Amino acid sequence: MRHLGTGWSRFVERHPVPVFTLPSVVAVALLMAFPVAYTLYMSVHSWYASSLTSPQFTGLGNFRRAFFEDDRFRNALWLTVYFTALATALQLVLGVSLALVLNRPFRGKGLVRSVFLLPMVATPVAIALVWMMMYNPTLGVMNYLVGLAGLGPYRWVSNAAIVVPALAIVDTWEWTPLITLITLAGLATLPIEPYESALIDGASVTQMFWRITLPLLRPTIIVALLFRAIDCLKTFDIIYVMTQGGPGFASETLNVYTFQVGLFYFHIGYASSLLVILFALVLGVSLLLIKVRRGAW
Amino acid sequence: MRVSLKMWFLSIMLSLALASPALAQKFDWQQAKGTQLRVLLNKHPWQGAIEPHLKEFEALTGIKLVAEVYPEDQFRAKVLVELTSGASSIDVFMSMPAQEGLKYVRAGWLQPVDEFLKNPALTAPDYNWNDFLEKTRDAMVIEGKIIGPPIQVENTSLMYRKDVFQKYNVKVPTTLDELEAAAKALNGKAMTDDGQPGYGIVARGKRAAATSQFAAYLHAMGSTWLAPNREPIFNNEDGIKALDLYGRLLRLYGPPGSENNHWYEASSIFSQGKAAMYTDANSLFPVIEDAQKSKVVGKVGYALFPRGPKGQYGSTVAAWGLAMPKTSQNQKAAWLFMQWATAKEQVLAVQSEKGVLGARESVWKDPKGMAKVPADLRESLTMGSKVGTPLWNPPVVAVAECRDAIGAAIVVSIQGGDVRAADNKAATDVKRIMLETEKK
Repeated sequence: MRHLGTGWSRFVERHPVPVFTLPSVVAVALLMAFPVAYTLYMSVHSWYASSLTSPQFTGLGNFRRAFFEDDRFRNALWLTVYFTALATALQLVLGVSLALVLNRPFRGKGLVRSVFLLPMVATPVAIALVWMMMYNPTLGVMNYLVGLAGLGPYRWVSNAAIVVPALAIVDTWEWTPLITLITLAGLATLPIEPYESALIDGASVTQMFWRITLPLLRPTIIVALLFRAIDCLKTFDIIYVMTQGGPGFASETLNVYTFQVGLFYFHIGYASSLLVILFALVLGVSLLLIKVRRGAW
Repeated sequence: MRVSLKMWFLSIMLSLALASPALAQKFDWQQAKGTQLRVLLNKHPWQGAIEPHLKEFEALTGIKLVAEVYPEDQFRAKVLVELTSGASSIDVFMSMPAQEGLKYVRAGWLQPVDEFLKNPALTAPDYNWNDFLEKTRDAMVIEGKIIGPPIQVENTSLMYRKDVFQKYNVKVPTTLDELEAAAKALNGKAMTDDGQPGYGIVARGKRAAATSQFAAYLHAMGSTWLAPNREPIFNNEDGIKALDLYGRLLRLYGPPGSENNHWYEASSIFSQGKAAMYTDANSLFPVIEDAQKSKVVGKVGYALFPRGPKGQYGSTVAAWGLAMPKTSQNQKAAWLFMQWATAKEQVLAVQSEKGVLGARESVWKDPKGMAKVPADLRESLTMGSKVGTPLWNPPVVAVAECRDAIGAAIVVSIQGGDVRAADNKAATDVKRIMLETEKK
């Protein structure tokens, strides 16, 4: 017994790294690696959640079906990209502009900063429900507001043509502060010397912004963009609460569609392959942005 | 003459001989005494009304009940997961056959009750299955087998503002043509409390949710979901006419944004007094007659869904019922519970106390049974449940997926798109979904 004990402690002393990391490795393997592996496994099978039939191997059949036969999938893929591009572009422009404004010293700056961050801390489902009311074509406030500018009335999330922009506005309202926050942090770390020499050289404010601030901020902005792009690609809550993918399928993004396929139609195999595609999409966009950040392009 | 007298005598003797044991022997409610039953209930008006009476069942039968209640989404998921596992301990659960029946029956999960019903040792002589309104009985039959008794019934019907129809002197529609004419005539007319204009008609427009209400238009127009050979035919000429009508009504005479309206949005527009007509399930009447929230209490008429150009009825008959899994170890006791819960006394109790829309004709004729329900609703409901169709959903395994496919066509129609193309596409999709999910 004693011999075993010393042997064990000697083993621990010699190999502290594998021994002490083992619990977390096991936890990660169980909670993350297994589901991912199982999703990959299911994605090449056809299976309706049922005890009577076992999964049937279909190879790449699910993927072939998605890309060549399923127009609901192609629509969802396009809407995912459309929504992400629109929302992140809006948030990027607004977020960086806000950060530049907030970066100047003025009275009550701390208060204004905190207020700007509030949307981010609210619950997405609650936000979606409130926007639902604001978008209501007959009772909502949005038509009144755009009416002041001589526009509308619009049917907002009931109109297939503008439902995605309408949802992008909600996402923008909620997440612009994140970009502002990250950009502000980036602005705080900018060196002062380039500006001094630019001033001496007689550069204008606009020139300094385009030639110095923006290039120096680029890595920071790309990180913010990366966060938002990944998040937008997999947005689910606000879309599901506000439209459930409707009207028709006009706002059914990949995530919403997958949810329907998996948990309403119980086609687990096909839903898994859709998730694999979404994963590939997120990974691709991330790699692309990281490459941009490194200045490879 | 002599022969016939002899025959009379013989037949009287014979019937006495056959009937006397049944008469002499009282039905044995205690035959499964000591059993424990696990009953899964969905949070629902019927569940709320029957729960206070469950003790009476325990006293009558000596069977112990363990009732579990869940909100609808969780309830459906729970039942499905348990049945899927193949090792469920559920003995009785609430079920809507048109929603999940075919899937469950094809999977072999349900124990039909035909044999129990026929067996005089298991079914009380006064149970009277034929007292259930004709189409509610049909609604409980899947592939020729009765899966259980109905507990609540509802029809897609026409709810309309009696005051508005009277004020503008418009006839209450009994045909689809009159429905459209009335919607047109009343759209934009003042109808709210403060004299604001309202819409001619309101109904669900949200994809899958709209499909079950569109079913009434489809059947009234003379079409249906599937042909006897199980080919989709809802895109035949009559079906396209129905789809076109549904979209046209909501587009021209309905509230903007109908495409996103589920029953709660639609019913709140109606109960705020902003629409003259509303086609939806008549079981929504407690929402419309709720003095706390509704502005149209007492002003609403409940009519049979308008008939089609060839006189067809469109009323859909949706029934909640009780069902028994094949895996139940206590089938006799389970059947005793199903029988007790749907016997006349209990149906009368839940209907007279809480206004649950029961499925027994005799209860609807009983003054106590009528008490909580508006008279015209009573008439249209009993009528609709006799002449309507149980097909408020397409009779397929993958109901949710097919409702989405058809709902997409409904949205196209509301938005004024190409109705024929959308309907054909929906039919193609439904056919594909059926091929995938119903291959044996």
